[in-house]
Amino acid sequence: MSFREKSAWISFVCLLLLTLGVVFSQHFHTHDAQGNDVVNPLHLALAIFVGFIVLQVVLHLIVAAQSPKDARTPKDERERFIELRAARIGFYSLVVGELIAMAAFHAHGRAGTLMWTVLLAIFIAWLIKLGSEIVLYRRG
Amino acid sequence: MSSLPIDNNIRRLRFEHGEMTQQALAEKVGVTRQTINAIELGKYSPSLEVAFRIAAAFNAPLDQVFQYRKGAGPQT
Repeated sequence: MSFREKSAWISFVCLLLLTLGVVFSQHFHTHDAQGNDVVNPLHLALAIFVGFIVLQVVLHLIVAAQSPKDARTPKDERERFIELRAARIGFYSLVVGELIAMAAFHAHGRAGTLMWTVLLAIFIAWLIKLGSEIVLYRRG
Repeated sequence: MSSLPIDNNIRRLRFEHGEMTQQALAEKVGVTRQTINAIELGKYSPSLEVAFRIAAAFNAPLDQVFQYRKGAGPQT
């Protein structure tokens, strides 16, 4: 497996964890005796985002250390082609996601709903882009 | 037979050049080993530039490395 494919796998798994973490953080409420939130969901989401970046960097460093030559090699034409195809698939997914977000906003009229639906659409489109990269790398 | 309408003799040419590895060929051509493997298996059609570089690596004319399959129509 090439460094780029490993990188796509790492990003995919980390982003999946981030997406699940952000969704979980919005439903995670712990209250004290007065009924106030002990953990601010926004702070929890930010902490998960920082964790995502740290995990991505650490895992990429580990993989790069295992095959430094492979990691230093610039992308060749096939890898650029795979990235472009995956980006195109991700773009159309994002457009669909944003249209769904707009429809959700139209139906509910809440800015919070719009924000979270847009964020989720970005994460899902990014996941689809990375997933497409993995599939295209696997196909050869 | 590969899914692409282009056949190649890269495996044979590597054998004739002292069992040159895919990695060694990849380094000569300036692509990754995985890309050489994909080209060799007929899963990926290289650009004209890379095709010429592969031919140059074997010191062979292009048509000795790649052949367009007769009767192959345009891809849809």
